[in-house]
Amino acid sequence: MQVKSRLRAPMWVWGAAAVVAVGGIAAAVMSMRTSEEPIASGPSVTRRLTAEQYQNIIQDVFGSDIDLGGRFEPDLRVDGLFAVGASHVSVTAAGMEQYDAMGRAVAGQVVDANHRDMLMPCKPASAEQPDEQCAQEFLGKVGRLLHRRPLTDQQLQAYVTAATQATQITKSFYDGVALSLSAMLSAPDFLFREEVVEPDPDHPGSYRLDAYSKASQLSFFLWNSAPDSKLLAAAEEGELHSKRGLARQVERMMGSPRLESGMRAFFEDQLRFDEFETLAKDSALFPKFSAQVADDAREQTLRTILDVVFTRDSDYREIFTTKKTFLTPELGSIYRVPIYNDGPNGSPDQWQPYEFAADDPQTGILTQIAFTALHSPAGRGSPTIRGKAVREIALCQKVPAPPGDVDFTQFELASASPTSTARERLGVHASVPSCAGCHKIMDPIGLALENFDGSGEFRTMEGNARIDPSGEIDGIKYEDANGLGNAIYRNPAAVSCIVDRLSARALGRTTSSGERGWLKDLKDDFADNGYRLSALMREIALSRALYSVSAPAREPAQQQVAAASSADR
Amino acid sequence: MAAFTRCSAPLLFAVAAFGCASQAGAETRHYAVSWFAQATYSNDHDCSHGVHPEVEQIYLRYAERLGATPAQIATWRRKQMEGEDVRDLDELMMNRGRIDGQPVNPYTQPAAVVDLQMPGLDGKYAFGFNLDGKGADDPNAFEDPETHERGVDHQLYRALGCTRAFRGSLESRPTYYAWAWGQLKDSQPAWVITVSGDDLSKDGPVSVSIERALEYLRSNSDGTPRFDMAYRIDPDPRSRNTYRGEVKNGVVSITEHGKLRLLQNPLVAPELELSNVHLRLALKPDRSARGFMGGYQPWHPIYFGIAGVGFGGEQQVTGDVPGFYHLMKRYADADPDPVTGQNRAISVTYYLEAVPAFVRPADATQQLTSR
Repeated sequence: MQVKSRLRAPMWVWGAAAVVAVGGIAAAVMSMRTSEEPIASGPSVTRRLTAEQYQNIIQDVFGSDIDLGGRFEPDLRVDGLFAVGASHVSVTAAGMEQYDAMGRAVAGQVVDANHRDMLMPCKPASAEQPDEQCAQEFLGKVGRLLHRRPLTDQQLQAYVTAATQATQITKSFYDGVALSLSAMLSAPDFLFREEVVEPDPDHPGSYRLDAYSKASQLSFFLWNSAPDSKLLAAAEEGELHSKRGLARQVERMMGSPRLESGMRAFFEDQLRFDEFETLAKDSALFPKFSAQVADDAREQTLRTILDVVFTRDSDYREIFTTKKTFLTPELGSIYRVPIYNDGPNGSPDQWQPYEFAADDPQTGILTQIAFTALHSPAGRGSPTIRGKAVREIALCQKVPAPPGDVDFTQFELASASPTSTARERLGVHASVPSCAGCHKIMDPIGLALENFDGSGEFRTMEGNARIDPSGEIDGIKYEDANGLGNAIYRNPAAVSCIVDRLSARALGRTTSSGERGWLKDLKDDFADNGYRLSALMREIALSRALYSVSAPAREPAQQQVAAASSADR
Repeated sequence: MAAFTRCSAPLLFAVAAFGCASQAGAETRHYAVSWFAQATYSNDHDCSHGVHPEVEQIYLRYAERLGATPAQIATWRRKQMEGEDVRDLDELMMNRGRIDGQPVNPYTQPAAVVDLQMPGLDGKYAFGFNLDGKGADDPNAFEDPETHERGVDHQLYRALGCTRAFRGSLESRPTYYAWAWGQLKDSQPAWVITVSGDDLSKDGPVSVSIERALEYLRSNSDGTPRFDMAYRIDPDPRSRNTYRGEVKNGVVSITEHGKLRLLQNPLVAPELELSNVHLRLALKPDRSARGFMGGYQPWHPIYFGIAGVGFGGEQQVTGDVPGFYHLMKRYADADPDPVTGQNRAISVTYYLEAVPAFVRPADATQQLTSR
């Protein structure tokens, strides 16, 4: 995966999120059903850092001007999420080379003349000689942040010794420290989120994450990054094991600007925005579409969602019906609405708020370019692909793969006519039993989006035929994309979907059968709270289920952790 | 910024091809000019004395007139043919003007360059308008190849139509204009045309505004002009032009032939200035527009716009620059100098293409929703 610079959070989101968090947390804690329910927990999992998490940690610890370089190994999507796939992947030899190269690149920049005075807490007595005290101070400090827990004495000594020996060889204190830092960045304790489990003293016979693993669970869920120093301090002091202490940290974290980063990461994962990396359109057919449009489209949908769930703290389901969005001039040209830049000629394009008319076909994220274009082939739209995407992404329903012996004869005959519409062509599916079973749950959904061509541009005609955007989902018929949005809004599966996926993201795995009660409570509370995502996130973050695990197969890792030095591996 | 909405859905369907009305009972369409160049109709029968030679050969004619010996000229010709440098000839050409016998810059002092009397175009056809009202009785006029109107005044075409860089057609664009447009289109503020009437799909009176935007023309990634971009009108009064006109059979024309002034770019000309302005703009089913704009234009700015290319551009793009001065001076057909009688303006026709755009008028206080 190509390393990309991270988007910065707009101030309006930060401020709004803070207000939401402070105002809502007390009520949420009081109303939630889940905190004390008995739980049949699932297993602990070990997750590889995603590319974005790696990037976020480096930025959080060393600053945003550190260039990673290199490429990450591809992530794996499991049950609709990379966040779940992260517990199913390892590191290949080639991937390890990349991690090593990135680690060296990062370490080199951290100790270079431009950064060392700001990032290192001490100066060596001599830049050409080992200085164990300074090396220990620096490596101990960053090691705690990178490993998400204090280094053991044995770990720290190994890193310091390596730095000393490297300094003696290179005659450079900073090169020596950089070598140890790069080793730290390639260590399994950094690259993998390993959960350390301990008996739960409040629930005899049960197990829970230890305080540092709990801090990581919380931090990666809310921020998509490692715990900050305050959260680690809370873990160290045992605060996270108390309800009040946990609530205090959750409140602080939900008021942080990093919350937007966490939610962006979730929705990028949930909406499969990684597919933008391979998105291409036929420029002869869709000349307006470009790499810039693709980037803007992705950002538009994220801004739309964040506006609903954070800025306005509204009903999550409004993301399927909202008329409010944000556009750049280039996006405006595709949606055929005027978006004017400010400033003189040549000024960079700016984001502008925009609200479509109530009866405009543009409604919610399913009609946005980031959905209609992303789920279309290069040269046309596809009701089938879009319908499948609605099922899988908005409703978390699985659509079976087509059988291997599909007979395309009828479909090709229907496609042979240049005047046929997609509706006519897809009508053939109904006449072929082996196709009808699945296509009837996809095509009628996607046909409602036929007013949007393969690039997402609005149209009323397909060839010489006027488009009929009527559709149907699960027996609910509608006239156009507005109706589709409303149908998804009212569909209980949309609510279950977001709860399931958000909880799976938090846990790093699909919930177990023993956690169904917890999920049901989350869904009920979500409804009681007006489907406000902030309330759902807060409840998950405060849930005992998030930090409880089933009995380990052998002795809890906590008893082994002291002996498990990454330097020894 | 105030929120606003676009066309309502029923209205959108009703006017999908052209956009929605900006106010009750009226229709307005905006266009960003996406191509603007002299309208040319070059063919095999329009230069009876032949197309002008390559600039290298013209240089030798100048050299001869400046006193070079036959032996020198033969040497330069041989070197040119063999691809060798001819620096002494280049030096001579870079200063081929003469004032009081002294060499001067020929591009800034074209009147000081000898007139080689290169021939003008003498074909039958040229795009344009009957500007002087003489019609078919005008022996120097052309016939428009599209409308077949006779008496068309387009003396700029007659002046430059046999020079290589200015030959071309609507489809095969003249080299000079293709080069100049390519230089300008991604930076020069766009020109915007606004047509307003009761119903532009029916014949009737219209209002036509030709103005300058604050933003440059936006293009697609393949270089084609981008439809439906939004532009703000520059409030500078030097680029505000509005005319009465009419639409007939889907073609917009100006019925009030006043003056036009638009700020341009010094690379081509600081500004475009026309008098007796004419416009014929066809509104196309794909929502774009194409047509012709004509009038009388001061020819000195045209010359100095071309002359800006200098010696390098003369060789690479335009051909003999001072020769254009003499040609335009010869064929200029309007605005005689009261003292010398020399015409200071020349009849011109420009071909333009335009794409649908959103436009915020200069006096608008908020975003508008017309298209």
